[in-house]
Amino acid sequence: MQDLVLNAQWFLAEATTHAAEAGGEHGGGHGGHATLSFMGLMIYTFAIAGLIMILMAFAKKGLKDRVFKGRLLQYFEQLHGFVENLCVGIIGGHGRKYMPMIYTLWLMIFVSNLVALAFPSSPTADLSFNLGIALLAIGYVQWEGMKANGVFGHWKHFAGPKLPIALIPITLMIFVIELISEVMKNVSLSLRLFGNIDGGHQAATAMNELGKESNLFLVKYLPFGAFLMPIKMLTCVVQALIFCLLFCVYLSLVTHHDHDDHADHAHGEEGGANAHPATT
Amino acid sequence: MLPFALGLAAIGCGIGLGLIGFAAMNGMARQPEAIGKLQTPMLIALAFVELVFLLTVFVGAGSFKP
Repeated sequence: MQDLVLNAQWFLAEATTHAAEAGGEHGGGHGGHATLSFMGLMIYTFAIAGLIMILMAFAKKGLKDRVFKGRLLQYFEQLHGFVENLCVGIIGGHGRKYMPMIYTLWLMIFVSNLVALAFPSSPTADLSFNLGIALLAIGYVQWEGMKANGVFGHWKHFAGPKLPIALIPITLMIFVIELISEVMKNVSLSLRLFGNIDGGHQAATAMNELGKESNLFLVKYLPFGAFLMPIKMLTCVVQALIFCLLFCVYLSLVTHHDHDDHADHAHGEEGGANAHPATT
Repeated sequence: MLPFALGLAAIGCGIGLGLIGFAAMNGMARQPEAIGKLQTPMLIALAFVELVFLLTVFVGAGSFKP
């Protein structure tokens, strides 16, 4: 049994990091921090996607009943309600049709963050995965924007307010700046997630070095990094929340319109009232 | 020089986060029923301030040449 655990640990360390390819030059210095290799990222990503799918498959059991009785189904229902509240609060009444995308991103990021608590690495602790989902999210925002106001209308939205024809250089400048800011959204989304999760790993690694010089057995082998666990758990939830929140904000920016305004106000107080501070 | 620069970045980030937390706490204490409305913009603002520090640490410190 112990051999099995040891082998699994060796496999995780060897197969998922660049240390295997670099031929052991990785060692001291950074104190065990290693970026995931391509194969390692795939292993982690598909393991987490598989975990979510298995849980969902079990949760599907009581879906046809009038009252949801399954414990797992109730958990997922609560989570869905939470994300839906967030989404409808920011985007407004028509935000429900973006729920599949937002909920998928939420589940993937949240479960990856939870995995990052227990494992040496995780998809969200790797910049490439984060950049991938950020590109996906921003690409989806462009797609929805084009679907909502037409291709030309969506590009016109980048050009800012309507100015007199003499001020066309300013419109061009606004257009370029808006395009740059649109690209920078990818960077900010991905780097925030990566920084928080990977920063947590590095902080834990650095704190584990603390007692190394001590002669006391207890102090020498006490995992000081584990004391960071509560704040890392908080980071898990908050980072998944912020990613979805910003995704909702970007969606609401491109799909918010005059003809939708009436629909928003008709849907109730909290939709319209919450939409405003977020969109400014 | 790098630890010093990181410390400076941390000071700035701390001041920014503190200001946001201060204002949000003030608002929430004055108007407890507005907590739900205040939390979302507060989290967004926190995320934006935090990003500056993360940029400093990962981009700035990564490209640092002594």
